[in-house]
Amino acid sequence: MALPLEIPPRARSAIGASKASPMYNLRSSIVSTGSTTSLASLFAGTGASLPRDIVDDIKSVIHHAFVPHIAVHVSDDVNDIIREKGLPDLYQLIRSYGEKVQGRITARDSQGSSVTFEDFAVRFVRLSDIAQRPDRNSRNGAGSTLRNGGQWDGASAESMNSEELPLVDELLDLHLSHAEELIETSLATEAESHTGQAFYLLYLRKLLSGFPVTSHETFSHPVACLIAISSRNPSPIDTLRQLYKSGAEMEIPGYVNKEYLRYYVLVHDEDKDDIQKSTALFEQMKRHFGLHCHLLRIRSSMCIVSDEDSVPLAKSQWLPASDELAELHSRQEDDIEGDSLSRFIHGSDESAIKTMIREMVAQSIIPFMERNIASWNDQILSRRKGIGGRVLSFSRRFLGSTATRSATNSATASNFDPVTNSYDPVTPEAQMRKLADWAFMLRDWKLAYDVYNTIRTDFNNDKAWLHVAGAQEMTIISLLLTGQAITPKIRTDTIDVYLDAACYSYVTRFRAFYAALRCLLVTVELLRLSGGSSAELAAKWAIKALDLNIRPTVGRALISQRVGDCYAVRQGAGSGGWGGRRRKAAMWHVLAADTWIQLGKYAQARHCIDVAMPRYMSTEFVYIRRFLDQLKLDSGHVNLLDLGSMKISDDTEKDSADTDDVDEEKVDIAEALIEEGEKPRFDGKRRSILIPQTANGDAPGMMTMEESFNDRPL
Amino acid sequence: MAGSTTSYYFVIIGTKDNPLYEAEFGTFKQGGDGVPKFREEQRHMNQFIAHSSLDCIEDLQWASKEMYLKTVDKFNNTWVSCFLTGGNIKFLLLHDARSDEPIRQFFTDVYDLYCKTLMNPFYEVNMAIRSQTFDQKIKAAAKKYL
Repeated sequence: MALPLEIPPRARSAIGASKASPMYNLRSSIVSTGSTTSLASLFAGTGASLPRDIVDDIKSVIHHAFVPHIAVHVSDDVNDIIREKGLPDLYQLIRSYGEKVQGRITARDSQGSSVTFEDFAVRFVRLSDIAQRPDRNSRNGAGSTLRNGGQWDGASAESMNSEELPLVDELLDLHLSHAEELIETSLATEAESHTGQAFYLLYLRKLLSGFPVTSHETFSHPVACLIAISSRNPSPIDTLRQLYKSGAEMEIPGYVNKEYLRYYVLVHDEDKDDIQKSTALFEQMKRHFGLHCHLLRIRSSMCIVSDEDSVPLAKSQWLPASDELAELHSRQEDDIEGDSLSRFIHGSDESAIKTMIREMVAQSIIPFMERNIASWNDQILSRRKGIGGRVLSFSRRFLGSTATRSATNSATASNFDPVTNSYDPVTPEAQMRKLADWAFMLRDWKLAYDVYNTIRTDFNNDKAWLHVAGAQEMTIISLLLTGQAITPKIRTDTIDVYLDAACYSYVTRFRAFYAALRCLLVTVELLRLSGGSSAELAAKWAIKALDLNIRPTVGRALISQRVGDCYAVRQGAGSGGWGGRRRKAAMWHVLAADTWIQLGKYAQARHCIDVAMPRYMSTEFVYIRRFLDQLKLDSGHVNLLDLGSMKISDDTEKDSADTDDVDEEKVDIAEALIEEGEKPRFDGKRRSILIPQTANGDAPGMMTMEESFNDRPL
Repeated sequence: MAGSTTSYYFVIIGTKDNPLYEAEFGTFKQGGDGVPKFREEQRHMNQFIAHSSLDCIEDLQWASKEMYLKTVDKFNNTWVSCFLTGGNIKFLLLHDARSDEPIRQFFTDVYDLYCKTLMNPFYEVNMAIRSQTFDQKIKAAAKKYL
């Protein structure tokens, strides 16, 4: 077999450059040509900012993570109709449509100017899930967590335990294995491009999609509740009242405010029921319950692919990892037994659902939230911030400190209840937190930042550490989202201090690894987007996130890769790239590759090696070289450049006999390159090639070594 | 760093990120025997850490007048101390506890030795240092200070 030795050195370095990410691309080609240093300084600045779409991707993940939650509470007859359609319940039918509310949504911010969102989203949850979730977690968590000198108590802390994390890891593992299969069978060459950022975004999304219901934040508390009955119900108004009552009486944790908006929906069955009767009923509903009502007209018949207006049921992007895992497992069983769930719905149904959600969000939920934000802002925040409030809180603090000294923890001093580790929802503290969270959901970062800043000190006075940590976390996130320039002073005085304190509280005081990880990763992403020295800070905190997770899991590999990405964002100045972090980025990519290999995800490992390689191409560090050669062998990675210039040392070649048997013939690109001559065209689709091995274990196309590394001095 | 006693990894890095001289030694303090206690997988990590800390050195070298830049970087429990010569040759020492003064003295001795090597007419900048005498003297300096 011919070797690509004919490729002249210049062209070879061009191959090496094109395989790498664009940042390396530029630099390595310059280094190799040597004479174009002035060009380098021209281009040095361009790599500093990230491409527009990546910024949007990450921002939208973060925007969509913190959205209003809407509980769904329906009567049995509604679910009967949905079951006839072939879906388990109404929640499953509508949940994916909440992820992209049709059209634009306009909200008013605290200054009174209106803001338009193209991509507003809401998340549906079953009301019963909110009631169950803390229970389920505390039951499982109770065994593993110890009471810690009375530092923390109650179900709220336990519910944030890290049990979601292994599930996220498991899910990602499934996704990755699937992608890996596609690559191995070379069905998907473009799947290679997914190896970079896409999986990390997926990881982040899954991590952010299942917020536990806790006392220290209200994102997962319902903003509204959708109460639905169907046209089949014999006593509709009574049933609605019943649902209202059963919803209110449901055992929701005490810190969840039950004063949420009720939205009444009448589900009309187009196929079987009379629309006139339903309209009359709907009018009656409006009289009884006011304006927050909607008539949803859907068909009860099952829809199959061949139907005229069938559309696939939208796939939910924001399913919590546990749910998605369950779904994947059940689908695997279905494949054997035959499909039991319908994957298609009528087009008319889809548009009816979209219209309902749009109407509900635009006409009921947003105004409801705006109204509440305005009134809380008025009544609580201004009072707290005004002179009277200052005096009040000061005297309370004074009284509180004496009270705790004389009597043990009397309730007069603070509203904080240390037994349940929560505030009652009617206390000013809880309402302010809610105000901040809601402002955050409506993307009024400025207001949210102000309020988080204010309540942080309140929580601090009450020694409500979990709440302090929550407020610190959100202070940083909202500060970063305001787009204010991050000065070094803010970096050291605010971000570093708060992040450190929040992580300490989460991890040491409450063992809430999930909360800590979420806090770190969201901040890391936002810092990374700011670029420059913030990116280095991002890397620093991402490394801290690694400490939370010692075992080699998918999450760990993805985060190490992210550390590398964070460093890579920081570009140096001038032709030398002074102040850049290229070497660090490369090192972290190599470490990620190592973890990927331990996990058996070779395509990921190859991708990481590809990114890191240009930095180590001509390194004279013996062990680095040897380690990289080993990684390449383990992952089945042979890069084109190596064929000409690299040598494999004796001992590693021996190992190659018992590594994976590569059956794919993928050298065609190499051959194509040779035929084309000096200027190889490289479209970036295939970044590594696999070399088939001959019977004696030698890979053809490897050069034999000319000198051993061993005789270099140590 | 691995092992119960302190181990050091010392490297001189040339202007093109190329190692000129590498050595590992253990501590003689606290009854140490001076034998490095690096596990096999730490070997490449040492080199990775040293190599990646060059990024930080490039930042710091403009900010300080001193040749001894003290600790410049940290990776897990490994600290990196650096001494930068006028010719942009870096002496890096990886250690697992902060102790500025002994390391400064060590670096000063190494700088001495390096200058003497430079005076050798057969030695050029960025050439690997293979001299046995140099090696012995470095080890002696390590024994004295570290």
